[in-house]
Amino acid sequence: MKKDQTYWVKIHINGEWKRAEVFPEETLLHVLREKLGHTEVKEGCGKGDCGACAVLLNGEPVNACLTLALQADQQKVVTVRGLGTPDRPHPLQESFVKRGAIQCGFCSAGMIVSAKGLLDKNPKPSREEIKRAISGNLCRCTGYQKIIEAIEEAAYKLRTDPKP
Amino acid sequence: MDTYRPQHLKSALQLLKAGKGRYLMIAGGTNMIPDLRAKAIRPKAFIDISRFKNLSYIKEEKKEIRIGALTTISKLADSNTIQLFALPLSQAAQQLGNPLVRNRATIGGNLADASPAADTAPPLLALEARVVMMREGAKERSVAIDQFFLGPNQTRLRRDEMIKEIIFSKVSPHAKTAYFKLGLRNSMAISIISIALLLEMEGTFCKKARIGLGAVAPFPMRAYRTEEMLTEEEVTERLLEACGQTVREEIDPISDIRASKEYRTEMVSVLLKRLIRQIAFQQPV
Amino acid sequence: MNDKEELRIIGKPIPRHDAWEKALGLTPYAADFSLPNMLYAKVLRSRHPSANILSIDTRKADRLKGVRAVLTAKDVPRNESVTRFGQTHTVGGGFEGLYRVLADKKVHYMGEADALVAEETEAIAEKAIELIQVEYEPLPGVYDPLEAMKPDAPPVQEGRSNIITHYEVVRGDVNRGFAEAEVIVENTYRVPFVDHAYLEPESGVAWVDENGVITIRVSTQVIEHFRGIADILNLPHNRVRVIGTYVGGGFGGKEDITVEAFLALLTFKTGRPVKLTYTREESILSHSKRHPYVMEYKTGAKRDGRLVALQARLVSDAGAYVYLSPWVLLYSMVDATGPYRIPHVRVDGYTVLTHNTFTSANRGFGAPQVCFAYESQMDELARRLRMDPAEIRKINYLNKGESLATGQVLHHTVALQETTERTVKAFGEKRPSSGTLKMGRGIASGMTSYGRMVFLHDTSRSHVSIEMDGSVIIRAGVQDIGGGQASSLCQIVAEVLGVPLEDIRIYIADTALTPFAGTTTATRQLYMSGNATLMAAQEIKKTLLRKASEMLHLELENLDLVDREVVEKGGEKRLPLKEVIRACASDGLPLYHVALFKAPFRNLAQFERIEGEVFPDFTYGTHGAEVAVDEETGKVQVLKIISCFDVGRAINRLSVEGQMEGGGIYGMGYALTEEVLLKEGITMTPSFSEYLLPTSMDVPSLETILIESGDGVGPFGAKGIGEPSVCSVAPAIANAVFDAIGVRIYDLPLTPEKILKALREKRNG
Repeated sequence: MKKDQTYWVKIHINGEWKRAEVFPEETLLHVLREKLGHTEVKEGCGKGDCGACAVLLNGEPVNACLTLALQADQQKVVTVRGLGTPDRPHPLQESFVKRGAIQCGFCSAGMIVSAKGLLDKNPKPSREEIKRAISGNLCRCTGYQKIIEAIEEAAYKLRTDPKP
Repeated sequence: MDTYRPQHLKSALQLLKAGKGRYLMIAGGTNMIPDLRAKAIRPKAFIDISRFKNLSYIKEEKKEIRIGALTTISKLADSNTIQLFALPLSQAAQQLGNPLVRNRATIGGNLADASPAADTAPPLLALEARVVMMREGAKERSVAIDQFFLGPNQTRLRRDEMIKEIIFSKVSPHAKTAYFKLGLRNSMAISIISIALLLEMEGTFCKKARIGLGAVAPFPMRAYRTEEMLTEEEVTERLLEACGQTVREEIDPISDIRASKEYRTEMVSVLLKRLIRQIAFQQPV
Repeated sequence: MNDKEELRIIGKPIPRHDAWEKALGLTPYAADFSLPNMLYAKVLRSRHPSANILSIDTRKADRLKGVRAVLTAKDVPRNESVTRFGQTHTVGGGFEGLYRVLADKKVHYMGEADALVAEETEAIAEKAIELIQVEYEPLPGVYDPLEAMKPDAPPVQEGRSNIITHYEVVRGDVNRGFAEAEVIVENTYRVPFVDHAYLEPESGVAWVDENGVITIRVSTQVIEHFRGIADILNLPHNRVRVIGTYVGGGFGGKEDITVEAFLALLTFKTGRPVKLTYTREESILSHSKRHPYVMEYKTGAKRDGRLVALQARLVSDAGAYVYLSPWVLLYSMVDATGPYRIPHVRVDGYTVLTHNTFTSANRGFGAPQVCFAYESQMDELARRLRMDPAEIRKINYLNKGESLATGQVLHHTVALQETTERTVKAFGEKRPSSGTLKMGRGIASGMTSYGRMVFLHDTSRSHVSIEMDGSVIIRAGVQDIGGGQASSLCQIVAEVLGVPLEDIRIYIADTALTPFAGTTTATRQLYMSGNATLMAAQEIKKTLLRKASEMLHLELENLDLVDREVVEKGGEKRLPLKEVIRACASDGLPLYHVALFKAPFRNLAQFERIEGEVFPDFTYGTHGAEVAVDEETGKVQVLKIISCFDVGRAINRLSVEGQMEGGGIYGMGYALTEEVLLKEGITMTPSFSEYLLPTSMDVPSLETILIESGDGVGPFGAKGIGEPSVCSVAPAIANAVFDAIGVRIYDLPLTPEKILKALREKRNG
């Protein structure tokens, strides 16, 4: 069988440059999960219908399953792990935990990323704006209520007490 | 399969020509990647044009708006210019897909993919936009958008041609517009039907009407006969009933998993009347 | 167990122990795990719902470079077994059915697995699947259970009737009852196939460990399938180990064997680790669905609203294999009347094989289906009698001490009067209709069991140990599917041993290392494992306090464990916990306990006519829905859902609210947008583009009202809420739609087209 063409990409992920050898048709999702160790980015449907794979690409929330790895070459990607650590969690992560916005947790990584994208652009979102911002992220467990409340709380915390 | 990442537009066009239809241009990829996954397309190579910044613009000129083909749907949705001068397009952009998809999908891709339910098409039809196309070794050409679509996923684009920009006249301050997308849920919904309406009114007298419809025919369409019925007429309930009937006759919907053709037909009629009322009589939708 | 003392941790809204890892992206779900030298598996699935397999030619696939295994039915040591689904002993009742690993001579539903491959890469695995050539001979199929019941229908499984089971429930004499009735409402209700649609597709990794044990790390609700897997491989049970991961949503869809059998076979054959993850399309195509039902209901009442008779015929579509169909039907039979006092009842239930995707457990397990029927009936009765929907229900609600039509006495609080009153009150000011947008309100009540059927000898075990420094380890076989199953156990131990939550670690779901806790199904974990864990913690507490009483010279009854200390109740004396532990250790006292909680057992004499006690207890609640219906488009927008439940005792307030809110939306999807459409056995809704879940922009405001009667059989008087939170949502919405536009839809989902059609018929008729 003819060997398929591959290319090397360099992607800036959560603050560091990482390299991977990728196929032309390979998605960013696949490369993040299978080649770069970023299993926090989830595959829920593989075709942009669920948002579980949401990452920030140059600051904008996108479906990693709808982005070719090659399209992320030289670009900046942030996943949920890049937002906070156990020692210094992001206020969004903290609010999600404290407000019970996480049940099975499978949607959480993508959900938090979409929320981060929102708050970076709009630090004082209305409830409607929050609902709209996460309307590409499906959740089967929570009914979204506590997720919306957690985002509201995190927005408030960031406005009143922003950490560097 | 292989990929090309040309640095310049000229190289991209040369590659497109050389590919003879086997090389497919990819920008946002929000339709193309699922198609690839479903094996609905099997290109020999991609030509990745996603990073051509010079094709992403919203330019306001004296009388016209020009939108670069690679302008993302989010940019359209967030643009004050579009909201001011092409409100139905702004509204459609806000409801296309979902926010994650909107950050990648482009107006050029939406039109070139040419789904009968393409969300940006009905507003562009009502705005009487022109699609400017380019290819290697020939001058740019443009075609009116109501001539652009030929069938489901079929357009006038030659296989070595790509969309450069979309141009339309700014909506006059005398014109009123409306837009409605009917879907089975409030986000991530493929249109059951969509309507974009532009009316130039003098009180309740309609001087000009443009109606763009989506998901009710093999391609997005204008409802010419219904437009004519409204032109130079006083808008009355009786006229509305007649319009509601005529538009049913103009469309050619199918039944699919989302809706039956009977329902689509009924909805175009009902919602068109509603939108006209909204504009003519200042009624809330 | 009705502890009125002030509780320190139970009942508080505490973040769950697993939530942090999930928020930080650190939890390794099944597909996130890999081993060196690992192969990738793929499944070849049939393209026909009903067909003979004339031949399977794997030669081209075998020759592919990078191929390690290509398996068909002949390669499975025991491909077929008559499985006692969900049981550890045989209890009769027709609960057995055929479990077949790979299709052999026939395919019985579209998506049935025909072959397996394991390859070096996913891409090669996909290619190998494409290269396997199967020759099918399509056969006539039967896709409607009503058709499949007929004597001349093609048999779905060879040598047996399509009717798997028939049950009846009889009380009094319905003919007499209807003769006495002053109003009779008769309707047929239909509910569709739906998908669990967990965000995490089925996934697992299997390998052979250094002891030759087939180890399967998998997203599952039931680790105890290890026995069935061992049987498939003709291995002794101790040669298969299942490790359950934190599950990205189960809802009953990961209750049966999914990827485990395939993984075990492939790792057994190749000797290498193997990973299998379903695509979403594969998941929708091939895993179990909720049972569609056709329900004929006839309800009779007196003019004052008192119910006198109910007759119902339930037919459920079991799909191509038996799985849990007889059980689901049994639940429906017990719940079929609803929580109402009815002197004359006759219910006949049938579950029938067809060539559709097999159906099995889905949140509610037969209760949501009949609830849609009986609560629509109650609403229609109310309209006919010009009675308030809440009033007619309150007249008929059963009370504690009364019995269901099956004769089961309700020994515990039935809080329905209160749940309904509070739901109605929570509606507030009625919003006016305007133009074509009509407002409506509806209520519906439900009773849903928690805990398994009482003849199943259900048990759970929990191992709690306290370390020398006072930190605590819990080991329990519990599977955590997102409902806080593991976390609740930590809370219980924290409460009893007086240690903060951060001092507790829990290990779950490992058949080799954690005591069996039974399945995470039937809303049973809090009841069963909660009680087992409570017992284990209490034993340790006793040991510690006995030693402390010696050390402090105080009576045992005057001591308690609070904040890492032994304290004198209402007094000054205290001892650090560590000191007491050390003293116990010196004396060789055990600082751990494995407790076994046995659910009270009742035998069911026979399974034709359902009589007697079937469930330990029920959770009762009421849903209220407020909708706006667009009369011209038929679209329904739900504006508000009120959920009011007696949860017994809320162990973790946030978790309970979360279940009620999530259940509300799970039920709303069932009511309005979800249907796995099968046409002649072919799935027409293959992905999340066609199978529509509610998005954040579809959800209404959700109000949850908790009542805590303390009268549940779980720890601290808790009841279960996971499934009860779903059952009455759809009828509440359907009743609200009726209130808005005066038409009733008798089948779910309530699509805009159905609503328009009904409105048109009303106008014309």
